[in-house]
Amino acid sequence: MPFPRSTAASNFAAGMSGTIDRFTNENLAGKLLDIGVRPGSRLRLVRRGPFGGSWYVKIDRHCVALRQQELACIMIK
Amino acid sequence: MHHDQVRPYPVVGLVGNPNSGKSSLFNLLTGLRQRIGNFPGVTVEKKSGTLQIDDLPPVELVDFPGAYSCYPTSLDERLVVQELTNPAGDLFPDAILYVADITKLDKHLLLFTQLRDLDLPMILVLNMADMVETSGLQVDVTELSRRLAVPVVSVSAREGRGVAELKQAIGDLLRDPAAFRPEEPFYEPGVLARDVLADLRRELPARNDYHALLLTHHASWLKHVPEKTRHLVQEARVKNKFHSLRAQVDETMTRYDTFEPIVKATVHHAGDTNSFSDRIDGVLTHHLVGPVIFVALMLFLFQALFAWSGWPMDGIEWFFATLGEGIRDYLPAGWLADLAVDGIIAGLGGVLVFVPQIALLFFFITILEEVGYMARAAYLFDSLMQKFGLNGRSVVALISGHACAIPAIMSTRTIANWKERLLTILVTPLTSCSARIPVYVILISFAVPDDSFLGFGYQGLAFAGLYFLGIASAMFSALIFKLILKTEERSFLMLEMPDYRSPVWRNVGITVWQKVKTFIVEAGKIILLISIVLWGLSSYGPPAKMAEAEASAAIIVQENGLSGDDAADVYAGEKLEASYAGHIGKFIEPVIRPLGYDWKIGIALFTSFAAREVFVGTMATIYSVGSAGDDELRIRDRMAEEINPVTGEPVYNQATAWSLLVFYVFAMMCMSTLAVTKRETGGWKWPIIQFTFMTTLAYVSAMAVYQVLA
Repeated sequence: MPFPRSTAASNFAAGMSGTIDRFTNENLAGKLLDIGVRPGSRLRLVRRGPFGGSWYVKIDRHCVALRQQELACIMIK
Repeated sequence: MHHDQVRPYPVVGLVGNPNSGKSSLFNLLTGLRQRIGNFPGVTVEKKSGTLQIDDLPPVELVDFPGAYSCYPTSLDERLVVQELTNPAGDLFPDAILYVADITKLDKHLLLFTQLRDLDLPMILVLNMADMVETSGLQVDVTELSRRLAVPVVSVSAREGRGVAELKQAIGDLLRDPAAFRPEEPFYEPGVLARDVLADLRRELPARNDYHALLLTHHASWLKHVPEKTRHLVQEARVKNKFHSLRAQVDETMTRYDTFEPIVKATVHHAGDTNSFSDRIDGVLTHHLVGPVIFVALMLFLFQALFAWSGWPMDGIEWFFATLGEGIRDYLPAGWLADLAVDGIIAGLGGVLVFVPQIALLFFFITILEEVGYMARAAYLFDSLMQKFGLNGRSVVALISGHACAIPAIMSTRTIANWKERLLTILVTPLTSCSARIPVYVILISFAVPDDSFLGFGYQGLAFAGLYFLGIASAMFSALIFKLILKTEERSFLMLEMPDYRSPVWRNVGITVWQKVKTFIVEAGKIILLISIVLWGLSSYGPPAKMAEAEASAAIIVQENGLSGDDAADVYAGEKLEASYAGHIGKFIEPVIRPLGYDWKIGIALFTSFAAREVFVGTMATIYSVGSAGDDELRIRDRMAEEINPVTGEPVYNQATAWSLLVFYVFAMMCMSTLAVTKRETGGWKWPIIQFTFMTTLAYVSAMAVYQVLA
């Protein structure tokens, strides 16, 4: 399978956004899909949480809180 | 499942995603005619209510827990899948009201299409129709209904609109369910599942292919799947190399692709609708300002709790004191009057006096939940909580624990990771619940002078200190358990943060009412029983000893020339020592002496293990001021007069008071909480561990405090 030039959402800085390409962890993918995070969705890192580790994220028009390692399995194109 | 006639007791299930406004709709449809129980075999709270539609038999409306999909990650969600895949079960609904938030249709249709493929008659309820006008959202309901092939009703649970149409639709559906069955599925099991299904389709008690697929995915934990079938499924999964996760992801993506065009064609958003919530979150979830606001909010909450609950509490105490006096005047003096006033009335008063505080605390917590702030609090503290082995969602339990550990422990069901959930359950009772308040109130006056420094009262500071001690010990204990317990299970945050909305007061009112009612009934039963038993134990004793006590009291009264109340106090004191309660107190005295307690405190301690709020009532009985009800000041004065016969010093000196306070902060003194822990963890192991660690912590700390201060 060809790998498109995509990068994990955890490499982003606050304020950056992109379109979700795919997930690299099936375990987390199932749960992310359930709450409406899916390929094609627009993802924007709004701000980092206190004590590090978690992010306030906007998926399309909805707000979700995700951990750093959860973002790490979301590839952005 | 064809019905030519309406079933005698039709069951309609209310299903939807979390935050879809499902419970608001349930409250709107059933009002206070709700019954709260548990789903069979599990501890998930089951709410059901009766709905009357025209001439139909009464409909039982069951409020299922919120779920995102048929692939559950939490206990709440598992239950939905379990009941909806079990056509033979009692709770299998005749019809489903699927509640979706009109502004989040692009997410909420996932579970809808899954349930639809289970061949269940359904109505799609679009909630929050009030948003349509305010946010410029447009929905083509007719087209949506045509494309999804189900009746679609828009309602506003907030404003109570659309109920008549909804009832009409439920009635139509129950009269002719066959007409509401789907003609074709949204999704056919794909390549990844084809082989395994070919093997299993005949073996499984499934209504259709999708039902069979779900059984294949979940057979290992579904309670209604027999052991034999479970093995068959397992073998077929291995043989066909069925990859459950991969199949789930494949299914979910296919479903999104199916209904996304439908949503696009029928729902139109006008610009960016969430700017209001976004602006608030810019402040409330700010990485520095956010936690500060949270702490300030909590301080305000507890301040208000004490400030506002004062006068209703005084009122309740006054009422029971007056009632007690009235009964004493009415009944002839004797054991019946004593039992009624010192046992039953004092016990009832002891329970009801907490109602204002519990109601207020639940009032605040429900508002925070309704507004959408709790999810933000979980986000703010997730990273910090993780360091202690907990989850951001544990914050909700740790806050609620300050009202009562029982609902707090039940709120942990949303934590998917078992270890995080277990730790939260184990440490939540260390937070100072409202039952500790009266104990603190009485003892602080002995521990801390009634003085102030720079405007801060020392007693108030000590009060705050005890709360801090509780939460700090909870976090510290979690850390220790985190290091002891090992788990490979993955932990999630993945938390939805709903838009801020003003609270629906109907929901707040119903929640507060239900919690208060549960408290009065559940805690009330125990406290009332203990009050009566304690009254018996302290009024009666071995006859010979009691006679002896009476004689010696008579001598003391004569020698000191006492009369009236003073004489009565002497009699009561001597008799208490000779009573069965006195014997119990003396029996445990050697164990608690290093903590600075005498046998009378021993009695109070002993009874407090049933429920700590019994302390005040026991003190009242022991110091024979029961006729004054639970008037804390009266008991306090009497306790201050208590002198240790050996040393001649007051019994309640600073060292003993602090030792007792620390004991009550840490000790596991609540049978109801242990019972809930047992239910939620599924056995005696964890409640026993919880009881042992908390009580050991209490004993050792109280001893250390007494030995240092004495």
